[in-house]
Amino acid sequence: MDGKRLSVSGVIMGRVITVTSGKGGVGKTTTTANLGTALAMRGARVAVVDADIGLRNLDVVMGLENRIVYDLVDVVEGRARLRQALIKDKRLPELCLLPAAQTRDKDAVNAQQMIDLTQQLRAEFDFVLIDSPAGIEAGFRNAIAGADEVIIVTTPEVSAVRDADRIVGLIEAAEKGPASLIINRIKPRLVSRGEMLSVEDVLELLAISLLGIVPEDETIVIATNRGEAAVYDPNSLAGRAYINIAQRLAGEDVPVMAIPDQQGVLDRLLSLFGRRRT
Amino acid sequence: MTMSDLISIKGSRDGLRLRLDANAAWSELLSRLDHHLGERRSFFHGASVVIDLGDREVSSAQLDEMLALIRQHGVQATAIDSSERATRMAARAVGLATRPIVRYPEPMPMPEAEALLVIRTLRSGQVLRHTGHITLIGDVNPGAEIIAGGSVVVWGRLRGLVHAGALGDSSAIICALELRPTQLRIADLIARAPDQHPINRPEFARVVAGEIIVDGWETFKR
Repeated sequence: MDGKRLSVSGVIMGRVITVTSGKGGVGKTTTTANLGTALAMRGARVAVVDADIGLRNLDVVMGLENRIVYDLVDVVEGRARLRQALIKDKRLPELCLLPAAQTRDKDAVNAQQMIDLTQQLRAEFDFVLIDSPAGIEAGFRNAIAGADEVIIVTTPEVSAVRDADRIVGLIEAAEKGPASLIINRIKPRLVSRGEMLSVEDVLELLAISLLGIVPEDETIVIATNRGEAAVYDPNSLAGRAYINIAQRLAGEDVPVMAIPDQQGVLDRLLSLFGRRRT
Repeated sequence: MTMSDLISIKGSRDGLRLRLDANAAWSELLSRLDHHLGERRSFFHGASVVIDLGDREVSSAQLDEMLALIRQHGVQATAIDSSERATRMAARAVGLATRPIVRYPEPMPMPEAEALLVIRTLRSGQVLRHTGHITLIGDVNPGAEIIAGGSVVVWGRLRGLVHAGALGDSSAIICALELRPTQLRIADLIARAPDQHPINRPEFARVVAGEIIVDGWETFKR
């Protein structure tokens, strides 16, 4: 099975992976939902945890909002057992959501409680994906407290990359590495015109390993609003990108998916004649 | 790098250490401290320091007074070093870590050439601060800062902010394999990078006739 590790006691333990970004609105929650779904489609047992206490929306993106009875804070404060609070996905029995509390704030949980929670979860799941709040304050620190690995999501914008760099520094200081990178919402046409940072530009600055790239894709918006993961849609380019990232996360030796240029008719014609535009 | 007879500062990999004379009158010491931190604001603002009080006996009220003073200059104390037990107890009473004694036989001279070598990428939000020279092997990313009393050498891309000669030395220089800073400062001068900077070669910056000038490395002559 994907990615299991042996604990000291010899019990097989899952990997705890935090998805974070620094800047808000770059696609952390969408990434968490789609990677969780893609990993569960492969047969892995996956828990996705919404650590954005007070501003929960992983449940909305996954279409599970109306099934919430207990939440993360209820578990931490002992009002509910973990099993009671975990919500099974609509389609995939291998996939569970631990929702955030909506009526509390970041101070409702501390780092040690998050570490204890992730220990419980990793005993039952192959992957525990934690959706971090934006920012560098207590909520972010709680979200990485129990992590084995950190995935940083950025968009190819100068401000988002700057914040991602800050996060990489904090993760190094907290010794929570290795951090790997997902570059989201790439617009190939803008990149080829030199009007958007390229993957290479971002990597040159951040100097961390690239887990994957996701193109700008309106199917993501449609899927997200419907509460369905884009990875179910075989026509969704972003969905295919998330499946590629899930493969790489699970340790499969596949290259980062290339994003076809949406205006690529000319390229295709040229390649018919055995030529390539550079 | 003696600030005065009463106050001296030493930088090391562990941070800055402010040593205060153990015999001068407390009020005079504080007024000198106020003056010195004020004069070197660009170096000290945002810094954390260990304060060495020697064998002086200091009360918690006096400590509070001193901490309030340095806070006004944007300086935070991380610990108090003292050989005097009463002083250490007073420091713990105001919530500071203490260390028993680092007793120098005489004021520690600060060799002018003392330099710090750091090998890493300096990322947004990170600050490297040292009283002497700094050599960084790695990149200085946008949003990162280097603040040095002496010169700064970056063996990598310099895209953040560097302040050389931050204690007032305008003969300090800044050099980098790729000099594309958001801002350069030498002593009390500030320069912004030009908007267009296509040159990709090692360069250095220094003060010439009251201005920060950037030149190709090959023109460097001392």
